[in-house]
Amino acid sequence: MADTTVKKNAVADFLAKHKAEKPPKEPKMSRKEKRERFKKRMECLTPEEQRYLKRKQAIEAVWPIFRGIIVFGLCFIILYPLLFMVSAAFRPRADMNDPTIMWIPKTFTLSNIKDAIRAMDFWKTLGNTMVLNIGCSLVQVITCAITGYGFARYNFKGKNILFFVVIMMILVPPQIILIPQYMFFRYFNPLGIFHAITGNYINFINSPVPMYLPALTANGLRAGLFIFLFRQSFRGLPKELEDAAALDGCSPLTTFVRVMIPNAGSTFLTVFLFSIVWYWNDYYVSTSFFTENKTIALMLKNLDGNLTRIIFGNDASSVNVRELIVWMESGCLISILPILILYICLQKNFTEGIARSGLTGM
Amino acid sequence: MKRLNLSYEKKKGLYGYGFIALWFIGALMFFIVPLIQSFYYSFHNVTPETGYLAITPLVDNKTGQTNIFLNYKNAFMTDPNFRQYLVESLQDMALNLPIIVVFSLFVAIVINQKFRGRTFARAVFFLPVIIATGPVYAIITGDLETGGNNSAEQFSTMFEADMVDQLLEFIGIYGFGDKFTEMLTTVTSDILNLVWKCGIQIIVFLSALQGIPASAKEAAAIEGATSWEFFWKITLPYISPMILVNIVYTVIDAFTDPTNQVMERLLSVQSEWKYGYSAAMAWSYFGIILVALGIIFWIMNKLVWYDD
Repeated sequence: MADTTVKKNAVADFLAKHKAEKPPKEPKMSRKEKRERFKKRMECLTPEEQRYLKRKQAIEAVWPIFRGIIVFGLCFIILYPLLFMVSAAFRPRADMNDPTIMWIPKTFTLSNIKDAIRAMDFWKTLGNTMVLNIGCSLVQVITCAITGYGFARYNFKGKNILFFVVIMMILVPPQIILIPQYMFFRYFNPLGIFHAITGNYINFINSPVPMYLPALTANGLRAGLFIFLFRQSFRGLPKELEDAAALDGCSPLTTFVRVMIPNAGSTFLTVFLFSIVWYWNDYYVSTSFFTENKTIALMLKNLDGNLTRIIFGNDASSVNVRELIVWMESGCLISILPILILYICLQKNFTEGIARSGLTGM
Repeated sequence: MKRLNLSYEKKKGLYGYGFIALWFIGALMFFIVPLIQSFYYSFHNVTPETGYLAITPLVDNKTGQTNIFLNYKNAFMTDPNFRQYLVESLQDMALNLPIIVVFSLFVAIVINQKFRGRTFARAVFFLPVIIATGPVYAIITGDLETGGNNSAEQFSTMFEADMVDQLLEFIGIYGFGDKFTEMLTTVTSDILNLVWKCGIQIIVFLSALQGIPASAKEAAAIEGATSWEFFWKITLPYISPMILVNIVYTVIDAFTDPTNQVMERLLSVQSEWKYGYSAAMAWSYFGIILVALGIIFWIMNKLVWYDD
């Protein structure tokens, strides 16, 4: 007991002593004194050093302001269409012709949104798109990962030529190969057997098969890029992992599933997110395979005509071009909202994923 | 039963084939064969029939002889617009490429610094990548124009003729501004497009900037490098491989964009069922881009500095 009190006292004594020894607080310098002090310091330096310090000081003072203006201005330019979208979507059509209204409408209305939902058959379209989108993306991520792993970790004859094909997949625009692909799915005829037996062809146009089948074989939208990303990220993992797993009796497939996949988690998420975004936004490939299927991008592309047909009763003259904007912007707003929410929630995975997943390790 | 005696390396090679087999089957069906087919179409007259495409040799109407290059000849000689679109889209690319690369590098350097709201700024700069690939972008730009709310116009008027001219006249230089302001206006009026096209490039540069080793920064600081010197002597060499990557990405992005003029012309030809002709157009466009990329790659590869 006594021991501890002694110790406590000792500590207190020690603290008190050192507190006393602390140098007296510097009196606050006025601006003038500061400047003089700076001047004195400058006098000890060579003119070259002086110039350097002065310039540095000036830049450090001005740059943050300049930077602030630039960042704010550019952010504003990017957000401008979105702000306009929100502003236009909720205003009554007459407000488009009112020059006094720039941003904030006089009355808020939900009728444009409701009309756009009706014209796009939104809920059904959304369901369709989500099923197609998530299905394709999931399948594509898995197959691209397997392919990327094969390219990253194994040496075999013809690897360079095959990888060149992957690079070509990134380079060749879909427009070149679309017609043969269309014929393939329109008159689907596996190995020529089906036609020989039945005398018919299978027509896959308007079914989800033209989207699923390429995704299933790692040939979906931008698959070349995804295979490339996976290859880069698997190549970055240490070689010992594989050998250790092999010594422990893992087959290559088990190694891949149990050792490699957990280590490449962030790449999986990035590729999955980008795949979702690109399938969501794709209308070029889907217009050639779908004539009836409703996806968000297709419906948005046709929103103009559908509005005239469904909302204005086939009378395009009842609405002028400026007023049409409120409906178009409402359509845009509801179409990008799901993907926007996804982006806001997982923003870090989008940007950091691209940075980390190997593009830098070329 | 006799077991196959394979070395470890050979076995691994076989597993490699196993891993890429699925992709290879797909690539054969959906990429390689269609690619060869479309190349073949480009030398023939192709018309769709039920169940197949009727492929007949190309016959020159004037001479009555077969000429397998007729599609290509028509595309470049007879087509009223193709050559013009081709030149214009290449010009656009040549003009936009340096602007996009320099601009995204600048933005990347700015948002790589530490300041409040940095995360927000990064999120905003990447936002266009999420939205701009779809039909939304076309509607947005179209609506802004008809709505008279074109931000680009408002932005460019800030810099436009008057301001620069007045400034120069104030200094005592007259008539200098015309050419210069014209150039400035073309760039600023396009600033919305520009900013919306730079998302990926900014991120790539950003990650490259973060990859510059701390030791290099420290050494430069000790030697008393100004930020100007730091940029030219440290930053630029370290990120030069990524400049090449971004150039290639930008070219491919512009070239595969379905809204560019050549692609639009291609689609209109396709919708007239002239598949052979459209294939010839697509292949000549692709060939030109490949040559351009090759030249860029060859030049840049000499300038790129690798940290080995």
